Amino acid sequence: MKKIEAIIQPFKLDEVKEALKSIGIDGMTITDVRGHGRQKGHREIYRGQEYNVDLLPKVKLELVAQDARCEDVVKALAAAARTGKIGDGKIFVYDVAEAIRIRNDDRGDSAL
Amino acid sequence: MEIRPSNFDVGLLLAARAAKVDNVVLEAAEALLFPTQDSRRGLALAAVGGYGRRQLFPYSDVDLLLLCATEREVAERKAPVAEFLRRLWDCGLRVSQSVRTLAECLEVHDQNIELNISLLDLRSMAGDRALYGGLEEKMPRFLQANRDALVRNLSRLTHERHARFADTLYHLEPAIKEAPGGLRDYQLLCWLEQLRGTRAAAPPELQRAFEHLARIRWRLHEMGGRDQNILTFDAQDVLAEEWGQDDAALWMREYFRHSRTVYRAASRELESLEGQTSGLLAQFRDWRSRLGNADIGVRRERAFLREPHMLESDPELALRLFEFAARHGIRPSLEATRRIEAQSERLRAWFSVPRPIWPSLNRIFTLPHAPLALRAMHEAGALGAVFPELDATECLVIRDFYHRYTVDEHTMVAMEKLWRPGAPFADLLSEMTEPGALVLAALFHDAGKGSPGGHVDGSLRLAEAAMDRVAPPPRERDTVLFLIRNHLELSAAMQSRDLFDPRTIREAAGRVETVERLKALTLLTYADISAVNPSAMTPWRAAQLWQLYMAVYNELTRALQSDRIGGVPAGGAERAEFLEGFPTRYLRTHSETEIDEHMALEARSRRRGVAVDVRRLDAAWRMTLAATDRPGLFAAAAGTLSGFGLNILRAEAFGNRRGVVLDTFTFADPMRSLELNPSEVDRLRATAERVIAGRTDVGELLRNRPSPGPPSRKARIPAKIHFDSEAGGAATLIEIVAQDRPGLLYDLASAISSNGGNIEVVLIDTEAHKAIDVFYVTEEGGKLTPEKRAAMAEALQRAAD
Repeated sequence: MKKIEAIIQPFKLDEVKEALKSIGIDGMTITDVRGHGRQKGHREIYRGQEYNVDLLPKVKLELVAQDARCEDVVKALAAAARTGKIGDGKIFVYDVAEAIRIRNDDRGDSAL
Repeated sequence: MEIRPSNFDVGLLLAARAAKVDNVVLEAAEALLFPTQDSRRGLALAAVGGYGRRQLFPYSDVDLLLLCATEREVAERKAPVAEFLRRLWDCGLRVSQSVRTLAECLEVHDQNIELNISLLDLRSMAGDRALYGGLEEKMPRFLQANRDALVRNLSRLTHERHARFADTLYHLEPAIKEAPGGLRDYQLLCWLEQLRGTRAAAPPELQRAFEHLARIRWRLHEMGGRDQNILTFDAQDVLAEEWGQDDAALWMREYFRHSRTVYRAASRELESLEGQTSGLLAQFRDWRSRLGNADIGVRRERAFLREPHMLESDPELALRLFEFAARHGIRPSLEATRRIEAQSERLRAWFSVPRPIWPSLNRIFTLPHAPLALRAMHEAGALGAVFPELDATECLVIRDFYHRYTVDEHTMVAMEKLWRPGAPFADLLSEMTEPGALVLAALFHDAGKGSPGGHVDGSLRLAEAAMDRVAPPPRERDTVLFLIRNHLELSAAMQSRDLFDPRTIREAAGRVETVERLKALTLLTYADISAVNPSAMTPWRAAQLWQLYMAVYNELTRALQSDRIGGVPAGGAERAEFLEGFPTRYLRTHSETEIDEHMALEARSRRRGVAVDVRRLDAAWRMTLAATDRPGLFAAAAGTLSGFGLNILRAEAFGNRRGVVLDTFTFADPMRSLELNPSEVDRLRATAERVIAGRTDVGELLRNRPSPGPPSRKARIPAKIHFDSEAGGAATLIEIVAQDRPGLLYDLASAISSNGGNIEVVLIDTEAHKAIDVFYVTEEGGKLTPEKRAAMAEALQRAAD
């Protein structure tokens, strides 16, 4: 099993969710986060006062998929989240040792 | 025991269950605590809490008191007590026990007030009769001696409990025991009655409410198989069906009505008990009581109607009461609320026909304590009487994962959020020119949720019907409809658009059209999201909204210069010629009538090169001038007003393709010189025309004006001057935020003109002591050079400091 963690643009969340749903992925965890990579910050001047947005709003999406499905998920996710501009985000993939469904103690792939 | 019908006798069932548990408890007690006659000495077993009063719900805790004569007894009885409790748990009972000495039971436990409270429902079960008798005998004297401390603690616990539920009973999935208006509040009333030393029977309405809530709780526990007190959506469906009600939302309305009865009674009792307060507070209250007027008096922090029977002949007295509440932050008394409720039908009939009550409503909407007054109106049924269009949303449950409150409560919470938004939105409301329209829009933004079809369209229809009766001015009416129609737009943009993409910002700017509407829509969005649930407006989301606001604000401000009226707008050649070249903002911020008046003014100016109009508005004055442009014209006009001691609040200056400028100044007359001397209006008009035509030196006018003292260092707003050459068009944008003072605008405009700058477009605003001025300036038809910017910045800084 792999854990896929993606940091994406907030306005791409609906598209990404739709893309994942279309390949049969329904479960995921979404968190509002802030950060920056190469996109750096953003400066806005409002009534003569500078507002520096050093950490830009992003959405973190986490899900766990079977090994065999991981590549499909990553492809679908990247395609839906891409605008081609700096700031589109990143995807990280990790190995997962075990998954347990708390309700009935299912283990492994069947817990996903 | 499986109970189906909705009207079962819950009191009987609760008592029967307590009796059944009594048998189990007594059997275990006789076997393990009191196996011999000797073992009875020094230990008594009593039922307390809900079990003590024989109101035991399925799966609820069985509250027991193990009363020991001495500390030694506590230690010696440890083993049999443990065995006894184990037996009860093995029998499937959830035991909540307390082992106390007699002395401990007769102390006030500030940190464990629940122990004191549980003893109010004391019931003997077994053991040392003399020991129990001692407690029973001393208890009334203990309660009497410590009544104030117990009430104070009970009140504190209740407020803390209510605060956990955001002080409202209108939750979509309410906690029927602990939430405001729940069973705990009913019990609170019983305890307060006991502490008062009386045992009066609850009024029938309250008794019915208790029984309704208790039936629901009984069924929730049965269905869940545990002490489950949340009335979930699933449970609402099941229970509504059992109660014979097809629509769970309607069934919930009945629940909320009963819960409201309990909540009101509990709040009234607490207020009355908390009323017995210190001398200092009493003095303050005495001072507040002097705020009364001919219609309304103040007693014990509540506003009452001096002649409540007048409501029958003068229904608008109710509006005056709520206006009083909005002005002073003093809630209507219970009696006044009851009187208004009793006149509900008469009020509805009175307000159902068109009446010009907008000025009255607008005052309620815009006074400092508007949310308090609106909530009081809602609770008394007066809001529904004035706006029956809101009836369908009363106690309405719309199932949504994120929403926590009923639709009407969401609206009331939104109103509170609108009034007290967090930073950085806090200043926006004070900058609004039409806050009344914003409040009306907030009242109606979700009104359509009670009717079929899309809720925005429904809300628009209902708001239009309401406004047909109360008749706000056309501009306010348009603003209300605009805000309702677009109240989801900023949220949608935050969710689905790239906020750093200029196209997103341009589109949003095109939709809101003016800075004034942007501010109103931003505040409405802020309030709407914040009222979804207490944690819905996260710092992340607030930052998103503020980013969007700033970017659209800047876009709108920049568009002043670049976004000009071109082509031939409808309305004939003369009109087209007049309009061509003005910023498009001009069309958005002026009505057709105003445009006609401006055209007439411009026609008048052709003879002498200038025409000036001065007129009174509701709370201010306005000077409009049309003139052929010349250097220093705007500064001259601003200087004239300052020379007359008038305080400029807002200003706009635009020029058209023919080189005609149209400047509008909204100003205050702090000395009331124009109001008290009508001839001064003519003198101002004539002087302005002479100054603008260059026949009078504005410097002469200003020379004799006394200069104001500097503001205190603490209150001073440091001047900020920002140049932007990237803004649209051929001009340089200069934005200045500074401490406002008489003559500031003249000094700033003069600093620009004397440095060779030509003022193309101006937008001036003031909020409290802060002036926010935007100038678009050119130099020989183009942007300012770096050298010119430096020189102008220095001159402006001097003028602003």
